[in-house]
Amino acid sequence: MTADIVILDMGGMMKRNLMFVMIVVLLAAGTALAGDSTKYGEGVGLEKAVSIEKLLASPADYLGQEVRVDGTITGVCKKRGCWMQVTDEKGNGVRIKVEDGVIVFPATSMGHTASAQGVFEGVPVAAQAKKHEGENHEGDKHEACDAKPHGEMVYFIKGTGAIIES
Amino acid sequence: MAKFRFRKVIIAVHRDIGYFFAGLTVLYAISGVAVNHIEDWNPNYTVTHTERSIGDLEGVPDDGMAAEVLGRLGLEEKPKAAVRMSEKEFRIFLEDRTLHVATPSGQIVDELVSRRAGFFQVNYLHLNHAKGLWTWFADIYAVGLLILAMTGIFIITGKKGLGGRGRWLLVVGTAIPLIFLLLKT
Repeated sequence: MTADIVILDMGGMMKRNLMFVMIVVLLAAGTALAGDSTKYGEGVGLEKAVSIEKLLASPADYLGQEVRVDGTITGVCKKRGCWMQVTDEKGNGVRIKVEDGVIVFPATSMGHTASAQGVFEGVPVAAQAKKHEGENHEGDKHEACDAKPHGEMVYFIKGTGAIIES
Repeated sequence: MAKFRFRKVIIAVHRDIGYFFAGLTVLYAISGVAVNHIEDWNPNYTVTHTERSIGDLEGVPDDGMAAEVLGRLGLEEKPKAAVRMSEKEFRIFLEDRTLHVATPSGQIVDELVSRRAGFFQVNYLHLNHAKGLWTWFADIYAVGLLILAMTGIFIITGKKGLGGRGRWLLVVGTAIPLIFLLLKT
């Protein structure tokens, strides 16, 4: 008898839970679909963007600094969403590399306008090649995740956030 | 009597939470297998590349390139953006589609990106790309799984329960990840 009462109470509680969950799911869906722009990670806090042309012309001036860049998304990691390429109107592009899974750029964001923020970094081409030494490069899986070199260095922004316009 | 009541309660809890989360467990299991093999396939998108040729584009200015290319392809869609990537490449961005145009040869790689139906959606939930409120629901689900595991251990008594086969299955099932961690880390 006692057990029956317990089971009956659980049923009532489950109904309330189910309603709660349905409301939560609807709100989550609404949140995901709302707005003209989507914030990734911490978004963008810096008010002024550095021109990508200037960044690549004198990289030493910006290494280790928190920078913001604006432009068009001209490339995205289509497998993991772990990087995107932001390019200005003159064709100067910089890659925004984010931690796998923490921020995921959608492959369908190609061609959208974006602002991205993070720390500007550079690694020697040789060091980057060594990073993948011994790994299986079949199908150029890793090469796709690495930015194109500028001379002896590969420059990228270790992204902390971005805003992508719809 | 108290023992009898305890078992009734855990069976009821296990049953109801099991029913409640069965659907999500199936979705997460599908997504789990899909993303486990991310080195071998793209679990979220299908990307196809088609090569085309639209003829020489010599003399076409950059500000008219997109219109010229789309016109020759017979596409009326307004591009989201068009960018000169380098001296030899121009990119035109359409909805879920990118045209990589080699200039001035007019060779085009037409890249089409489509969401992998079903997988994209379950991965979106499983990898918590939704963030926000979904994080809370996923946390509730994790607690639910914990309760399922704990109550599941005590449902059956006797030789097939913790007193017999169940005990050994529990030990072996717990030992496998621990041994793996010891060997790999």
